[in-house]
Amino acid sequence: MIDVFFQYDFLRNALFSGMLIGLVAPLLGVFLVVKRMSLVADALSHITLTGIAFHFLLATVFVGLAGVDPLYMGMAFAIIGALFIDQLRKIYSHFKELAIPIILSAGVGLGVVFISIADGFNTDLFAYLFGSVAAVGQTDFYMITIVSLLVGALLILFYKEWFFLSFDEEQAKVSGLSGKWLDLIFTVLVALVIAAAMRIVGILLVSALMALPVAAAMQWAKSFKQMFFYSAVFGEIAVLAGIILGFYLDLAPGGVIVVAAVLILLLSIFLQKLNRKSFQTKYAEPDAG
Amino acid sequence: MYKKSEAVIDIQQISYQYENSPVLNRVSLNVQPGSFLGLVGPNGSGKSTLIKCILGLLKPQAGTIHLFGTDVNHFTKWGKVGYVSQRANRFNAGFPATVFEVVSMGLFGQLGLFRFPKKKDHHRVYEALETVGMSAYAKQSIGRLSGGQQQRVFIARALVSEPELLILDEPTVGVDANSARHFYDLLGNLNQFHGLTLLLVSHDVGTMTRYVSDVACLNQTLHFHGSTRDFEANKDLSALYGYDVQHVIHEHEEMAR
Repeated sequence: MIDVFFQYDFLRNALFSGMLIGLVAPLLGVFLVVKRMSLVADALSHITLTGIAFHFLLATVFVGLAGVDPLYMGMAFAIIGALFIDQLRKIYSHFKELAIPIILSAGVGLGVVFISIADGFNTDLFAYLFGSVAAVGQTDFYMITIVSLLVGALLILFYKEWFFLSFDEEQAKVSGLSGKWLDLIFTVLVALVIAAAMRIVGILLVSALMALPVAAAMQWAKSFKQMFFYSAVFGEIAVLAGIILGFYLDLAPGGVIVVAAVLILLLSIFLQKLNRKSFQTKYAEPDAG
Repeated sequence: MYKKSEAVIDIQQISYQYENSPVLNRVSLNVQPGSFLGLVGPNGSGKSTLIKCILGLLKPQAGTIHLFGTDVNHFTKWGKVGYVSQRANRFNAGFPATVFEVVSMGLFGQLGLFRFPKKKDHHRVYEALETVGMSAYAKQSIGRLSGGQQQRVFIARALVSEPELLILDEPTVGVDANSARHFYDLLGNLNQFHGLTLLLVSHDVGTMTRYVSDVACLNQTLHFHGSTRDFEANKDLSALYGYDVQHVIHEHEEMAR
C-alpha cells in the first residue's frame, strides 16, 4: 500500500517532508509547552498566512513573482512576527500571553485585507490553510530538509541552555546563561518550522503538531529527555497516518494528522488512567506523596 | 582567587529604588569567608532586592558590590556562587524532569556554550545529591517530591558547581517544621565541615539564630550587623524583629486561606 509513495516523486517528497516535520515540530513543541508558550505557534502560523497573502497580492502587480514560492514570503513574515512577539513579551512583561492575541489578530486582519485587495480567495490558498500532499514540490522538500537540519543542530547545541531557561529563568541567569538571544533564536526556529510545515499540515493546524504529541508524551515521559523521544514518536505516527490515509481516502492530510494526534492523546490519557488504577488496587494504600 | 582576609561579599553604600519608592538606602555589608550570615527584616524591607543586587540581577543606582574582590558588573565566575531562590519552591510542579536532570542544571553555567556534561559531571551530580541525602531519588520526577525534599534538591543543584558562597532566599517557606529543622542541620554542616560561606534570608528568626554565626537586620537601611550573641543580647532589636516575623507569618497563613 505504501509502494505508491515511492513510485511518484511528489508523493515521495510529501512523505519524506512530512516525516521531517513530524520529527522537528514536536521537538520544538516540548520547549514551547513547558515554557507555557504553545499558543505562540498559533500566532506565528497566522502571520505566515499574512505573508502568503502578501505574496499573492504582489504577484498580481509583479507578474514575475508568480513563479516564486510564496513560502519564502510566509517565512519572512513569520520571523518578523516572532521578533514582534519577543518585543511585546518584554513590553507587557507581567502579561506575556498578551503578545499572542495581538500578533494573531494582526496577522489575520492584515491577511484578509491583502486577500481582498488581491481579489478574493483562490484554490492555492485553501491548500495552504489545510495542507496538501500534492503541493509539496522538490524545492519544498529541500527547504524542509535544510530547516530540519538547522533545528536538529541547534536543539543539540543549546539543549542545556533552553532546558535550564524553561525550567527556571532567574536561576539560569544567575548561572551566567544569557536569556535574551537564546529566546530569540528559539522563536525564530519556531517561525521557520511553522512555515516549513504548512505545506503538509496547513497553517490552521500546524500548531497542533507542536502541542498534541507533546501533550501525549507528558503522559508517558519520566524525564525531560524522554519527553523528546515520545513527542517525536507520536509526531511521526500522526504524520504518517495523515499522509497515507489522507492520500487513499482523498482527505486533507492536515486534518487527518491532527485527528490522529488527538486519538494518540486520548489513548495515552486513557491508558495512563488505567495504569494508575491498577497500581492503586495492587497497593491498597496509595502513596500520599 | 581571593585572599583569606578578603571579603566574599563587600557591599558599599548601595541604594536602590523601584520607580519612586526607595527600597535600599545606603546599605553597606561585608561577608567574611566561612561565616554564616542570617539576613532578617520585615516584608518589604528590601531583603530580596539586596540579594538580587548581589547576584547582578538588579543594578543599584548608587554604591558598589564586590564578589570575591571583583566588581559584580565584571564578575564572571558564577560557578563560585550558589543560589537557592524563594521561587525554587514555587516552580511548575508538573515540569517533566527528574531530580538528576534538575541538579545537573547547576553545571550548565560552568560548562559554557557548546559543551556537554561528561561522565565525571554525572559523578558530581550524584555527589551533590549524596551531600543533601537525596541520591536515592535521582530518577524520580521532581514534581512528586515533598516541599522539603524539593528544597534539598535545589540545594544540591546550587552545590554541584562547588560554590564557595551559597545564598538562600527564604528557603523554608512552605516546608514543614520537621523538614525545616533537618534543612538547617544540613546548612550548618555545609558551613562547618565544607567551609561554605552562607548568606541566608529568613523570616524564621527563632530557628535561624540557633544556626547562624552573624545576623544582619535590614529595613531599607542596615540596622544591625554583628554576632548572633550580640543580636540576642540586644533585647529591643530581637524583640522588634522577632515580633515582626510572627506577624508576617500570620499574614501569610491568612492569605493562604
